[in-house]
Amino acid sequence: MNMMSEPPAKEKQKDSAQILGDQAKVYAARMRLQNAMDQADALDAIREIAGNLIGTEEVAVFKIDKKRSELWLYWSSGVDPNKHSVLEVHREPRLKQVLSGKPVFRLRLSTENLLSTDDPVNALIPVLVDGSACAVIVLFRLFPHKAEIEPVDREICEVLSNCAGRAVEPHQSR
Amino acid sequence: MAKKILLVDDSTTTLMMEEMILKQRTSYECVTAKDGLDAISRAVVESPDLVLMDVVMPRMNGFEACKRMRTESSLSQTPIILVTTRGEEEYVEAGFQSGCNDYITKPINGFELVTLLQSYLGE
Repeated sequence: MNMMSEPPAKEKQKDSAQILGDQAKVYAARMRLQNAMDQADALDAIREIAGNLIGTEEVAVFKIDKKRSELWLYWSSGVDPNKHSVLEVHREPRLKQVLSGKPVFRLRLSTENLLSTDDPVNALIPVLVDGSACAVIVLFRLFPHKAEIEPVDREICEVLSNCAGRAVEPHQSR
Repeated sequence: MAKKILLVDDSTTTLMMEEMILKQRTSYECVTAKDGLDAISRAVVESPDLVLMDVVMPRMNGFEACKRMRTESSLSQTPIILVTTRGEEEYVEAGFQSGCNDYITKPINGFELVTLLQSYLGE
């Protein structure tokens, strides 16, 4: 037995508090997006969820132009919009997976960036409307004390994927 | 009688999450405020046993609100925990200079939050 490990009861208490905390984050994210009053509020909800629940103040939303096979910057917070105005799908192999509806996350020890930008990209999240991706949320640099995208963050990203449609499609129902 | 906590944040998402965690894991009563100014008036009226307050807020930030709370005789000894997005030393130091007792970084970890509050208020 490892003498440094915590007693089982304390460990169990820690686990259940952790699980509850994670559930609270996912629930709060879903409620915030579903109760967004309008498009502007839905975009603000994305900013709030990224900053308060995931741990990044650098976030952008790109709309998909399928005909031109590119994504153009629709909204951003904390990043220079001039540096990220257009993403070309043929130059960004990771985007193909995202356009099929699946998020992509940067692994902790990976040195490869998810996009060909100077700024580190930690997550690419498709925004789904009627089952298909109409936009992509990009999470850039995490807070310095936040090492990586954690399992609960992936659950929150799934909520963003399924509930953030109003941020880009204003007539999308709640 | 249940201990009372004043939760202060301009983010409804954060307030919702904090309330959920505390209501399910503790017997503390929660009251809320949306910015520093609101927090001071709520704190004077509610006399909370502890204040958990965000730093970056409209109208009045957490540092300033903390300083002003310390000048109120009824709040001068109330534990104040600041919630920051930055864990850098100078930022934390600014928090302590404003009169806070402790700080916790965003994104909040449920277990750390409950443990920290219990260390001030008991279980």
